Amino acid sequence: MNTYLYDGEYKSLLSLINVLIRDKIEPLNIKYEKEYVDSLFDEPIYLKLENDKEISELKKSIPTNILKTCYYAFLSSEDNKELAIYRFIKDALIYKNGIYYRRNLDSVNDIIKYSHKVSSELHHMKGFLRFKKMKNFYYAEMSPTNNIIWILPSHFKERLKNELWIIKDNQREIYALYDRKKVTFLKKDDICKLDLHFSSDEVLFEELWKTFFKTIAIKERKNLKCQMNHLPKKYWKNMLEMEE
Amino acid sequence: MTIKEKLEILADSAKYDASCSSSGSTRANNNGVGNAHVSGICHSFSSDGRCVSLLKILMTNACIFDCKYCINRRSNNVKRAIFTPEEICEITMNFYKRNYIEGLFLSSGIIKNPDYTMEKLIETISLLRNKYHFNGYIHAKAIPGASEYLLKKLGRLVDRMSANIELPSDSSLKLLAPDKKIDKIDNIMTTIKQNKNKAFVPAGQSTQMIIGASKETDLDILGKSEHLYNKYDLKRVFYSAYIPVNKDSLLPTIEMPPLVRENRLYQADWLLRFYNYKVENLLDKKNPNFNVLLDPKADWALRHMEEFPKEINKVDYYNLLKIPGIGPKSAKKIISSRKFFKIEFKDLKKMGISIKRAKYFITCNGKYFINSSFLKKNFIQSNLILEDKEKIKNTGIQLSLFGE
Repeated sequence: MNTYLYDGEYKSLLSLINVLIRDKIEPLNIKYEKEYVDSLFDEPIYLKLENDKEISELKKSIPTNILKTCYYAFLSSEDNKELAIYRFIKDALIYKNGIYYRRNLDSVNDIIKYSHKVSSELHHMKGFLRFKKMKNFYYAEMSPTNNIIWILPSHFKERLKNELWIIKDNQREIYALYDRKKVTFLKKDDICKLDLHFSSDEVLFEELWKTFFKTIAIKERKNLKCQMNHLPKKYWKNMLEMEE
Repeated sequence: MTIKEKLEILADSAKYDASCSSSGSTRANNNGVGNAHVSGICHSFSSDGRCVSLLKILMTNACIFDCKYCINRRSNNVKRAIFTPEEICEITMNFYKRNYIEGLFLSSGIIKNPDYTMEKLIETISLLRNKYHFNGYIHAKAIPGASEYLLKKLGRLVDRMSANIELPSDSSLKLLAPDKKIDKIDNIMTTIKQNKNKAFVPAGQSTQMIIGASKETDLDILGKSEHLYNKYDLKRVFYSAYIPVNKDSLLPTIEMPPLVRENRLYQADWLLRFYNYKVENLLDKKNPNFNVLLDPKADWALRHMEEFPKEINKVDYYNLLKIPGIGPKSAKKIISSRKFFKIEFKDLKKMGISIKRAKYFITCNGKYFINSSFLKKNFIQSNLILEDKEKIKNTGIQLSLFGE
């Protein structure tokens, strides 16, 4: 058995998985090439793939919601997510939508756990993200555990459809830009220097928010453990009310 | 007065309202700003562990009423402030676009008379909806005694409207809130129920009761809730542990707000709404108050040991719900999975169902988790209490203030 490598794109992963299943190859592991660590006992393989053809083959035999679950799992930060997706798809080809009820299978439970982590962080970030009003646009930075920048913008696209805004994932250095029509994703190198000067009322409203936040707590009910439990510390650095 | 000083006063006097829920509405963004999210979104958590979802403020804290327990009562010597409609709109819009909030929760002290106050609230919210094109979530308090046509007008603008029942019995209301009349609150609730539809209070109505300011038992309180749920289709009854802000001979003197009692009432409230329990299953004249050491469901189970163990692979949905530690989500998972395979203890764990509490009350394929001769009431009870204490130590009391 060998480890199979891919280029980190979801499409390529699906395509690779399709080939593995079709040709009845049992992989030792599946890894993003840049995350693969050399090992004496393993000869990594990089297959030539025709993405589109193979993905459409897969899409024909698997319901879309299963592919959505796989995509969410793919966005998680779990180490062995690729192998888990391979196992899940293999079982999904047998059970179709009934797969979700086969909770005695590890392949199913792993993928549900991973995709749940992603959807729950996605939901949190819909609330915890903070925009700052710059001269020309609204700007937010975040540092989520999972790679949710690809699925978060659609929420704000609907909600703030007449504004210009940019969301940045600090760790992955990916930007989501919204121009009142569509969202474009850019890497650090594709972007020229952003004009991050505050709009004239930014300081006032930050001050008002911090005042509100402090005032709304009932001191007789103080419960920092409960607060921390709901609002994990890892999110604090991008939330102005938690900075002090 | 600066806008910051006003905000300080008018948020401070609004903070005792427990509701901050923003769920239940699907209002769309009609080419303006904002929309509602059906499951609600928490944007932050304050240092008391409560979810912050809405900009919760009063329009004014000036009030012609003199409710004994209320910080804003007429006879109190406190700083008073009033927001203009524009100020409320500006703060709401600017907070919303920065993603601080899900919307606005606007309440008010009563100035001049109920109709005048209501008209001011309507003016503010109309401005927000029509001039600022705000389509986010709005929860407005209806003013007791306001005319029905004003209630109807406000209801068409907001996602949720509510009137607080404040105290669990008419006699306590007469004693502590002499200006509030129960029939006026009934009128509001009836109007909302009769008019509710997609365009009128789509997220439904809620109410709030103060716990521990008057002499009622848990049986009285929960009985009142059950009555309200049945009569007015309320979405939620909120319980608010009494915090003494005023000195008054009619009010009890207490050291700490009764938070544990409040928590037990929330747990029991959950059982009424999602678990098919009736108040009479949980409490009676002989036991009119909840056990502070144990949650109401576990307490019930221990008093009905003859019903257990329940076989995970056999019993129906409502019997699964009677098992301590099993909620609607877990019960549904069990029902849908067991058609396909026989569920063992190890499968429950894999499915993400904790058996910490359930293990004393179930069998999987006829097998107990531990030697069944240990499963005596006292043994289980002390284990559950111990586990509860541990949970509270690690996470703080779980306040079930949000979600529907």
